[in-house]
Amino acid sequence: MSEPAVQTLPPTRPRLRQLAATPALRLLLARFPLLVFALLFVYMALGSEFFLEWRNISSILRQSAPDAILAAGLAVVVTAGGDDIVSGGIDISLPAAATLGVGILSDQLVNGRPFVLAMLLAAAAVIAVGLLNAALVVKVGLTPLLATLASWVAVVGTTKWVIDNRRITVDDPLINSVRDGTVLNVPVPAVFALAVLIVLSFWIHRTRFGHRLQASGGNRSAAEISGLNPDYFLARSFVMASLAAVVASVVLTARGSGLSPGIEERLLLDMVLATFVGAAFSFRRVVTVPGAMLGALLVKALGSGFQLLNVDIFKVGMVKGVLILIVVASAALEAGQRR
Amino acid sequence: MNATGEQHDADCALRMEGVTKTFPGVRALDGASLSVGRGEVHGLVGENGAGKSTIIKILAGVYHADAGSVSVDGEPLERIDPASVHRLGVRFIHQEISLVPHFSVAESVFLGQEQTGRLGTAKRAMRERAETFLAETLGVELDGRALVRDLSVAERKLVQIARALIDGRAKLVVFDEPTAVLAAAEVKTLFTAIDTLRRAGKSMLYVSHYLNEIHQICDRVTVFRNGADVGVVDLRQPQQPQVRVPEIIRLMVGRDIGDLYPQRRRSERTRDALEVAGLDDGHRLRGVSLTVGAGEVVGLTGIIGSGRAELVDSLYGLRKIRAGKITVDGEPARTNSPARAVRSGLALVPRDRRNDGLVLDMTVADNVNLATLEEVSTLGWLNRAAAGRRGEELMERLDVRPRGSHAVSRLLSGGNQQKVVLGRWLASQASVYVLDDPTVGVDVGARSEIYRLIADLAQAGAGVLMCSNDPAELLGMCDRILVMVRGRIIADIAAADTDHEHLTALATGGAEAA
Repeated sequence: MSEPAVQTLPPTRPRLRQLAATPALRLLLARFPLLVFALLFVYMALGSEFFLEWRNISSILRQSAPDAILAAGLAVVVTAGGDDIVSGGIDISLPAAATLGVGILSDQLVNGRPFVLAMLLAAAAVIAVGLLNAALVVKVGLTPLLATLASWVAVVGTTKWVIDNRRITVDDPLINSVRDGTVLNVPVPAVFALAVLIVLSFWIHRTRFGHRLQASGGNRSAAEISGLNPDYFLARSFVMASLAAVVASVVLTARGSGLSPGIEERLLLDMVLATFVGAAFSFRRVVTVPGAMLGALLVKALGSGFQLLNVDIFKVGMVKGVLILIVVASAALEAGQRR
Repeated sequence: MNATGEQHDADCALRMEGVTKTFPGVRALDGASLSVGRGEVHGLVGENGAGKSTIIKILAGVYHADAGSVSVDGEPLERIDPASVHRLGVRFIHQEISLVPHFSVAESVFLGQEQTGRLGTAKRAMRERAETFLAETLGVELDGRALVRDLSVAERKLVQIARALIDGRAKLVVFDEPTAVLAAAEVKTLFTAIDTLRRAGKSMLYVSHYLNEIHQICDRVTVFRNGADVGVVDLRQPQQPQVRVPEIIRLMVGRDIGDLYPQRRRSERTRDALEVAGLDDGHRLRGVSLTVGAGEVVGLTGIIGSGRAELVDSLYGLRKIRAGKITVDGEPARTNSPARAVRSGLALVPRDRRNDGLVLDMTVADNVNLATLEEVSTLGWLNRAAAGRRGEELMERLDVRPRGSHAVSRLLSGGNQQKVVLGRWLASQASVYVLDDPTVGVDVGARSEIYRLIADLAQAGAGVLMCSNDPAELLGMCDRILVMVRGRIIADIAAADTDHEHLTALATGGAEAA
């Protein structure tokens, strides 16, 4: 059995952290990310009356659904494995797995396979990636970052091979209804995301299993001492995340009307950002499923807002990056001076 | 086996007999026996390496014994694994506080034994039960919604205890060095909780280095030496600690270690080695002034939150100061980083030596030379032979075991690691030494050697600021003792003019400075 880690305070404190130690600043820091986003949205709403129109909001919901679903999956893995990016739980292969699902689903549908069969094949492939990750991490003992980096490369290669690296356009009635349909005026992809939110939130935050999964990632030795097996929860989290990737692959197929090669790269960046930005929105400042999904939504809304304000597309990336930096840094500063 | 006579298995909460355990090259336990009576608080003491942790780990099912028998509540155990001892009602309070920082009190208490209701986990019910349990069984009022990371160390310890006991099936509770991380006042809270458990009829095994604690709360104490039990001392008989504690120490070390504290020739104070004037960080330190004379050992005590830790950090450049002046050897010292502090002639032996003091995967020799590499380097090239020689020399002087400067530091015991850290600073020949809890977690034998080293430092003309919460050690070692309360030094007294009770009272705000 490994020796339980001693809880210790960091020996040095960067100067900024000391600055952050005054009570007023502390409160400001705690609310800072929300404040920044609120101010930006007010600014955007004032700048473009279209921003707050339902048509725009529903477009944001539709566009952000796949990112939000993947971010929710990643949040489960981070929760179970700990939020240290290098040694903790992370699954960067999720977008690749979802893209593989898109490729198989599109390819099968185009070749005239019935939807259910195509879906089953795609789901089996995506879940297989989750199982592979679980095995690499728990059985082989790789760190999640390395294991999922390896499977990212392997899965991206597989996808290119399966679809011959070409664009596949799908025209399937079910996929089209996911793309264009609404339920009570809410776009169907957003309904999918909402379903994922409800299921995963309940699973992680309201069940005995979820509570133990959180403990495994929060402090591995504490979980072990309580008679839990952290590896079991970490392995399960990879599989749960791959289930989210299955849902994401349906929504992605709808969003792109099939598969465009290379979509996984932008998804990866947005997924990781949304998940860790989302931690700033949770009460305990930790990665959570709702936080990650909210993060995905807000990041997407920002992009849309800038577009409406006619901000130069290159500047948008820069401004988005700076904003995300502000949010993440303020969370780190707050955590630092709470110690 | 012992002076109190044989007990029947049925009267024992725990009985371990003739336990033997060999690791490659080391016989950790050699026919050790240990028995805890029902409803008894039983102490277990011994020097580092005497086999205390090994026997605890065998009881926990972490290690498997080569030979020997174990019975819990009169029931013999064939094969011990963590689940089976848990089923029999044995609970462990581990030394390290293993909790999830962002979990609430209630979630932590119920970790691994969550209650569920109609809508998933029953958060409200768990919170109420956790709060009631903490209040009634452990005597502490805690909000079940508070997050662990916002609790004090003592409160976390109590949460840890609550987690072990919440299911109500605990019969024997094993405390492994529970007070190592606590300040004096917090120890009281823990002892109150232990007393409550005692009244509830729980049996307890209490492993500690602190003999005065053992004397205070244990009914009997078993002493381990070299992998075997060498005696059981009954503490219920009305005897003064002055009689009992030396008796236990004698059993532990197998000899009289005479005086734990070395005799020091107190010389006339000629000049100040360290002078601190009006130190203020705008937060925890409120204008701290003190002096340490050359050749003087000055004690500094204060409970957690008193500013003691912050003062030490400030001296060593780990904490930014707003106002105040630090003078070392008459020269104003710039201590805004540890590197500058070392250059100014300050040396610090940090409290958490495993994490702050040593590069655990380097060899002992490399660690000793870390602060003073230039002295064994030629034009930037490290002279391995010279470094090794100096390592050997210091190991010899400090009696570090196992000998051999090429051993990797991680493999040394806590006491010996501490000696390596001290050894490094001896090599640095600083003019002021700041020692932060130099003997925490160190056994009696190594302790007396560390005290001797400190006395040697002072004898050689260095000023020593010794921060500690052990009144006995402060009284035994120091010329003067400073007491900090809420960011200020409220007392500066000659060690000869005070005593144990008075010091504790001062630090906990229970007395006015004389």
